[in-house]
Amino acid sequence: MDTSKDNLERRCPRLGGPVSFRYCRLYGDNSLPCWKILDCWWETFDVSTYLKHNLPEDQFNTIVNSKPKPKITSIIDLIEQAKKRNG
Amino acid sequence: METKKILLTEDEMPRQWYNILADIKLNPPLGPDGNPVNPEALAAVFPMNLIEQEVSTERWIDIPEEVLKVYSIWRPSPLVRALALEKALDTPAKIYFNNESLSPPGSHKPNTAVPQAYYNKISGVKKITTETGAGQWGSALSFACSQFGLECKIFMVRISFDQKPYRKSMMAVWGGNCVASPSNETKAGRDALERDPDTPGSLGIAISEAIEAAVSDETGQTRYALGSVLNHVLLHQTIVGLETKKKMEKIGQYPDVIIGCAGGGSNFSGLALPFVSDKLNGKQIDIYPVEPSACPTITRAPFVYDHGDTAAYTPLLPMHSLGHNFIPAPIHAGGLRYHGMAPIVSQLVSEGIMEAKAVTQLEAYKAGIIVARTEGIIPAPETNHALACVIDEAKKAKEEGKEKVILFNWSGHGLLDLVAYDDYFSGKMKDYILSDEEMLKSEEVFANYPKPALLKSR
Repeated sequence: MDTSKDNLERRCPRLGGPVSFRYCRLYGDNSLPCWKILDCWWETFDVSTYLKHNLPEDQFNTIVNSKPKPKITSIIDLIEQAKKRNG
Repeated sequence: METKKILLTEDEMPRQWYNILADIKLNPPLGPDGNPVNPEALAAVFPMNLIEQEVSTERWIDIPEEVLKVYSIWRPSPLVRALALEKALDTPAKIYFNNESLSPPGSHKPNTAVPQAYYNKISGVKKITTETGAGQWGSALSFACSQFGLECKIFMVRISFDQKPYRKSMMAVWGGNCVASPSNETKAGRDALERDPDTPGSLGIAISEAIEAAVSDETGQTRYALGSVLNHVLLHQTIVGLETKKKMEKIGQYPDVIIGCAGGGSNFSGLALPFVSDKLNGKQIDIYPVEPSACPTITRAPFVYDHGDTAAYTPLLPMHSLGHNFIPAPIHAGGLRYHGMAPIVSQLVSEGIMEAKAVTQLEAYKAGIIVARTEGIIPAPETNHALACVIDEAKKAKEEGKEKVILFNWSGHGLLDLVAYDDYFSGKMKDYILSDEEMLKSEEVFANYPKPALLKSR
């Protein structure tokens, strides 16, 4: 893994504060990079090529094809997940 | 001296919210099986009175007296004539804004946080959970819960929790219990901590924790609250537009143009929907939801059913969408970053009742600074998008020599988002506009999706 970009920093539009590229790379959902990683970093450096070279193909495809969920659909989904977790 | 502020007395506050679902037809959200989502699916996290509002088609819904009492802390909000801005732009247009930045947390969000707290309270709920990133919604809900003696639990993403101690302090002052997420209080949090004890957390984990905290309370006394997108949220926000209509009536004015920044849709809808009602009944008004040109989900995208995720197992919602593979450009306006707009706004744009506008982030900040230096208030980053459109319209009025009345919603102040202004001043911000070719490529993903019926309300 190339970690040379990890210390780059920008404001996260979801959190409203500064985050490092490392945070975006490591702390998305389901152990993937954040689904906004391309959105947020493409103007800073060639993040697409970086991720293509540093992620397994299926993870890269997931990130490229990802997008935020509408809230209501997320909620219904999360209710089901929470119910399963709590048996 | 010309009148700057138009005020209502507390007695003149509207006593009902306006429900646009009485006047328009809306495609229902669809589940994976192609059938409409049952509202009961939300019962684990919302009280029934709010779910009833979510699906209600009653045109007018009474605002409870207890909610009005709390609203009266900052409502009625002033309608302000932007005289200094008009002068700076040398426009014949009259520019008015409804100032929602004066609420205790500094934005429009308590307009729905307060009734949500109230309806939970009368349903026997003792505790409301939510998640927060920067802390704005968490602050609004903490304030609202404090007014009704409810416990408020906020799961704030660990990295923000550590960076923004003043936000958790604000919530604590109102009695909100803000904990860093992941926490040890939910299985979702414990699982995340087990995987990585030093994790800085994520919004996804915080939402999971907030929902789980509501779902897993066996006493049934805990529910979850959401501050955007849903129909009942937009309903509560109509207090803004209804108040504004009264204030404009006081001075014998009526808007030719209505403008608001459109993220999840609640702030824009709050101002616009009561005027949409007039437009449906024949009034000539231009109504512009404004979004970043970098992510034109309702400006140019097709109106389609869109899955909530790439796996396509979440319900389908009719909304304007750029498709699963659209990658929006970076922009400093958190509230405007939804992939999909509130279904009500999508429907109204689809019918041509509203016309979505897009502005670049540089235009937005440039406008925000012009307005801050004339009208004096530092706008929230989201508000700046509306301001850019206001300035465009004012300039257009000058070119056309028309004395248009332009009305917009000042959704919040930017005093807690000054780093974004620093980025603008330092030249860090850049603009990006989706090309037609990129748009066409993005649309291909919808080829195998069902198209919603293009319902017409009139």
